[in-house]
Amino acid sequence: MSLKVDNLCKAFGDKIAVDHLSFQMDQPGVFGLIGTNGAGKTTTIRMILGIMRPDSGSATWNGKTISRDTLSFGYMPEERGIYMKNKVIDQLIYFGRLRGMTKEAASRSALTYLERLEVLEYKDMIAEKLSKGNQQKIQLIATLIHEPELIFLDEPFSGLDPVNTDLLSRLIRELTAEGRYIVMNSHQMSTMEEYCRDLVLLHQGKTILTGNLRQIKNSYGHTNLIVSAGQDVSGVAESCGLTLLEKRANETEYKIRGDEMANAFLRGLIEKGIYPTKFQIMEPSLNEIFIEKVGSSQ
Amino acid sequence: MKQIMLVFGYTFRDAVKKKAFVISTVIILALILILSMLPRGIEFFSQTDDDGTQSAEKPAETQESPDDLPRCYYIDENGLIADGSRVLSEVLGGVSVTEGTEGQLDAYREEIRKDGDVSAVWITEQDGRPYLHVICKDFMSGISSGDVTDALSNACLRQELAKQGLDEKAITAVTAPLNMEVEAVGELDLTGYVLGIIFTMLMFFAIYYYGYGVAMSVATEKTSRVMETLVVSAKPSRILLGKCLAMGALGLLQFAGVILFSVICAGLFLPEGFTIMGAELSLSALTPYTVLFLLAYFVLGYSLFAMLNAVCGASVSKVEDLNSAMMPVSVIAVLSFYLGYFTTITSSENGMLQKIAMYLPFSSPFMVPSRLLNGGIGTKEMLISLGILLVSIVLLALISIRIYSASVLHYGKRQNPLKIYQRNS
Repeated sequence: MSLKVDNLCKAFGDKIAVDHLSFQMDQPGVFGLIGTNGAGKTTTIRMILGIMRPDSGSATWNGKTISRDTLSFGYMPEERGIYMKNKVIDQLIYFGRLRGMTKEAASRSALTYLERLEVLEYKDMIAEKLSKGNQQKIQLIATLIHEPELIFLDEPFSGLDPVNTDLLSRLIRELTAEGRYIVMNSHQMSTMEEYCRDLVLLHQGKTILTGNLRQIKNSYGHTNLIVSAGQDVSGVAESCGLTLLEKRANETEYKIRGDEMANAFLRGLIEKGIYPTKFQIMEPSLNEIFIEKVGSSQ
Repeated sequence: MKQIMLVFGYTFRDAVKKKAFVISTVIILALILILSMLPRGIEFFSQTDDDGTQSAEKPAETQESPDDLPRCYYIDENGLIADGSRVLSEVLGGVSVTEGTEGQLDAYREEIRKDGDVSAVWITEQDGRPYLHVICKDFMSGISSGDVTDALSNACLRQELAKQGLDEKAITAVTAPLNMEVEAVGELDLTGYVLGIIFTMLMFFAIYYYGYGVAMSVATEKTSRVMETLVVSAKPSRILLGKCLAMGALGLLQFAGVILFSVICAGLFLPEGFTIMGAELSLSALTPYTVLFLLAYFVLGYSLFAMLNAVCGASVSKVEDLNSAMMPVSVIAVLSFYLGYFTTITSSENGMLQKIAMYLPFSSPFMVPSRLLNGGIGTKEMLISLGILLVSIVLLALISIRIYSASVLHYGKRQNPLKIYQRNS
């Protein structure tokens, strides 16, 4: 199975929302669709799902154009949309039935997911009485109720507390293990870094980065260094030409130009009798890559 | 079809449970109950008054003093109509008639200008005959000039006949009004006429109330972003049709309930031989033939406006903007209603305006049902009118679905539906 997006284009009047976007997803997992506000992520998802007609290009699933009738997909939009005045279980069954399920199957699936996301006790409650986080879980169940093969999650973690973030993380891992294809969008780069194998980075409709996240990071080499020591290391860092990135409570992050610079810094520390408790050489974070790429494209 | 029925079922159940629907139904039913019990209540209180059982307990009614009564000055200084003041008093029951003088005419005019309950009748002579001047504040106030003219003309005639030597008995025989009876041979009867007007009003209410329901339902789903979840599951056209059908069925259900309740109340509470303006209440105008066509016009008329309202609902990003978005459709509905209503009540003939109202798809649902109940329209004309209405709905549905599909996921500044249509065609 594969999702193939080929040269998708969409313009609204003079504004180009998506400009020749192409990517491919060949195996189950999480694909990251990253971008600034107004980059064209939602328009891209709508075109892939067939609810918005592209000006040119195509999106196919196993070689066939995606439509409501040909593919079982799930879409959780960025803006949460559930019937606030209606009972949770009633609307979940309704959404399930709209996706072709029988009433019994929709009810069974809804109850299973309600239990899995630990909100079974709210099944007979009016949606507006639930907390924002729980409403989000109901929205997620509405997306997954019909067990779709291809899932689009737009900002799935926004508004969730750490406990529920962990719950959703587990669910995403389980879905991936079950062989589902997930296209995810989030502004939380650490989250995207945790889940995404491949990604595409959009800015003002244009693709400014695409490919495998590991390979992208490898191409940058070792650029960051985190050090934690009982004494002040700033003098040694300065003499070795390191650039301070961020000073945190118990550690400091520096920008380095290759492994040699890190080695020289470590030698300098030892010569001064400073033995760091943490000395981590890293590739740049996705957040840094994002900022760098978006900055250079402007 | 399955998805249309699913949207229909969910929207219908949701709308039935809404407080607005429950409260409006309860109020309408309560009003019907009160109105149907009213004649018996009036009858009961009249009887108790006649028996005198409660008269003793009632406080003495206050008599209206002559100063509180409407006044009329009668000015005939030359005595052109003998006993005119008395004749006027008899014909203007409840009006205090006072003899006045020509010298006071300006003062009377000033008084009349200030008080609509005051009027004057001034008799002068012209071509050897009495000439009547009726002075009143405006056309909405004062006394009936027709009644005054009839009564004083009669008094004048009696005076002339007496001068000619006729005795009182002969004069009475000559001046007595002729007996008359109106025999209507057409199909327009009071019940059919009233039912026609009621149906026209109900039609307008349905288009406005349930059409607003469609627009509100679409706007709520769009602004609450439920539409984003719905639209990946079902085609916008199916959602639109399901919603329109649900609100239409809700309207039919409410009307059917109201009519059934009215019939039950009429049977239980209205006295036997109850009449409205002398006409006995009868539903003879409602034959299976007329009911079938009334139903067709209700469904099609509602559908036509529901399609337009759905587009209005889909065009807004905030529910607060809905009323302004619906303004053009509301104007079309109000103008069509007045066109249909006035061509119904003003004439039973088929003039050019009547024909326009009959065949114009927006006004025919307001006009034809009333004509049908009064027998003022043939089957052929009605079928042509229905055909035009049906074709219009299909065309409008195609356009509406296209605009609805394009605008239902558009947020931000409201767009011109015409531009949306052109861009997506």
